[in-house]
Amino acid sequence: MSNTLFDLATSCRVVLCCRVAPLQKAGIVDLIKSRTDDMTLAIGDGANDVSMIQMADVGVGICGQEGRQAVMASDFAMGQFRFLKRLLLVHGHWNYQRVGYLVLYNFYRNAVFVLMLFWYILFTAFSTTSALTDWSIPTIVVGILDKDLSDKTLLKYSKLYGAGHRHESYNMYLFWIMMIDTLWQSLVLFYIPVFTYSESTMDIWSMGSLWTIAVVVLVNVHLAMDIQRWVSFTHIAIWGSIIITYACVVVLDSIPYFPNYGTIYHLAKFPTYWLSILLITVLALLPRFIFKVIRQTFWPSDIQIAREAEILRKRRSPTRSW
Amino acid sequence: SRFTQQELPAWKPILTPGWVIAVFVLIGITFIPIGLASLFASERVVEIVDRYDDGCFFLNTNQSLLLDYIRNPKSNKTCTRSLTSPLFSVLSNLTTFIFQVPKKMRSPIYIYYQLGNFYQNHRRYVKSRSDKQLRSRKGEDEIKDCQPIARSGEKPIVPCGLIAWSLFNDTYAFSSKNKALTVDKKDIAWKSDKEHKFGSDVYPKNFQSDGLIGGGKLNHSIPLSEQEDLMVWMRTAALPTFRKLYGKITVDLEANEAITVVIQNNYNTYEFGGEKKLVLSTTSWIGGKNNFLGIAYLCVGGICLFLAINFILMYIFRP
Repeated sequence: MSNTLFDLATSCRVVLCCRVAPLQKAGIVDLIKSRTDDMTLAIGDGANDVSMIQMADVGVGICGQEGRQAVMASDFAMGQFRFLKRLLLVHGHWNYQRVGYLVLYNFYRNAVFVLMLFWYILFTAFSTTSALTDWSIPTIVVGILDKDLSDKTLLKYSKLYGAGHRHESYNMYLFWIMMIDTLWQSLVLFYIPVFTYSESTMDIWSMGSLWTIAVVVLVNVHLAMDIQRWVSFTHIAIWGSIIITYACVVVLDSIPYFPNYGTIYHLAKFPTYWLSILLITVLALLPRFIFKVIRQTFWPSDIQIAREAEILRKRRSPTRSW
Repeated sequence: SRFTQQELPAWKPILTPGWVIAVFVLIGITFIPIGLASLFASERVVEIVDRYDDGCFFLNTNQSLLLDYIRNPKSNKTCTRSLTSPLFSVLSNLTTFIFQVPKKMRSPIYIYYQLGNFYQNHRRYVKSRSDKQLRSRKGEDEIKDCQPIARSGEKPIVPCGLIAWSLFNDTYAFSSKNKALTVDKKDIAWKSDKEHKFGSDVYPKNFQSDGLIGGGKLNHSIPLSEQEDLMVWMRTAALPTFRKLYGKITVDLEANEAITVVIQNNYNTYEFGGEKKLVLSTTSWIGGKNNFLGIAYLCVGGICLFLAINFILMYIFRP
């Protein structure tokens, strides 16, 4: 019986159910939820909607004339039914974009770091030497970067008013492309210092210091390339991370108790050091940049078209408010 | 507030054709001059590299005879090599390669020893030292990471660990036109090492005194803060082929000048197939002779300009 109902319901565009008891409301949500992979959203304003709200993947409660029970059981609370549209089309869209990108970016950031260390193992007779000081420069950096990234979740990506269709911003294709790019970047990151300093007096701690800074700069510039909306906080976060890492390195290299003592002072005197970092950053990001340009020129996504239309329209008539 | 409503003023960049071309052109025009300057500086560096571990013995002699010879502290390990004209090789009982001072070398000329296939970056090797012990006499007994080179009998070895134990001990004496060239061995270590990492109250004790001898010996009456060869050696190298500073020659060397170097070929790299090379090099702002950065910059700059031209053409024909 429920199978028949399900088949009938899914072949209609809109289904209206009336005289439904609270448990039946939940049952309808469950009907869809248990038979498909789709996400279900339930919105309600009264105590009789609570079971339905809890059953759905996303529950929205309206606080109003029928009291606050629905609100207490829900994931999102609003004042009016019409806000649902904004919730889905605007905030839902933003959230999806941000989370999808952040997941990809975090995979990338961790992988590029680990892969770089991995390539080094090939050069240390397969012993697992770490060229980076144990003393947590990476973790400090990660801690700072992580905090900044959560600020970035406040970034507005793009506004697709009325479009409402789902765009995949996280899928297998994107993931593997990101991983190939990560592989390239880690190879560039590792091999440029190796070639630059082969047959030289470069010591292990200086090399590690160079790799650390290069990773931080690279990873931040990579992020900077993808940011679609630069607010003052974004600038502070990105450039701030790089500056703070340098500050940490300088401080740690000034303490005689650490093996890295004196490293940055010695390294920074040589233009070769700065040139290596610049070369790494540009060469590592070049394929990604080219790929992005080509894709945007020949196969622009709807989001991108809409965004460009908005921005260009705004630039032509600056009296419009955003 | 404007912040919580996320309505802060923002810059929203779009990747317009103008931007793309501008980026490529910018990279191209900054990288190509940098590449040229780097290449030019590297070409200006004059370098003499002489591999002597195979030249100082005939390597196809019986390997065990060779090893006996190198391990024997009493055998004569003097090896004389001439750095003269590269046009022909002369077989004598000691030398095979001959070099020339290719161009005039201006002082200071840096003397390096270069080791190949020597993994100073192996994890156990890198760990095998005690910085606390090196820094001050009070840390003499902090030898836990130094195993197996930590104690001689009951007493701690100073400096302990494999890194110090394997100290390089070939020596080089240079002469030109039958006059000795003085080698300045001061200030070859990092200043930060001399002042803070190696204590002035720490003296070597029980160093290379029993068991296997892995390398050079140290003068027990000189404090560690003045043992520059040790400091240079203990700055562990990052890659398996590396150079370390031996000293400086403070006079100019003319082109085609014949240099003779008498090497005490003590250090045993024959056991593991390592290479030893002697390097004399001038320096420039880019360091020693290395064309890589110059070439890399030129390539990247060139690629970017090429892409810029392509994009310009593309936008003209397909707006």
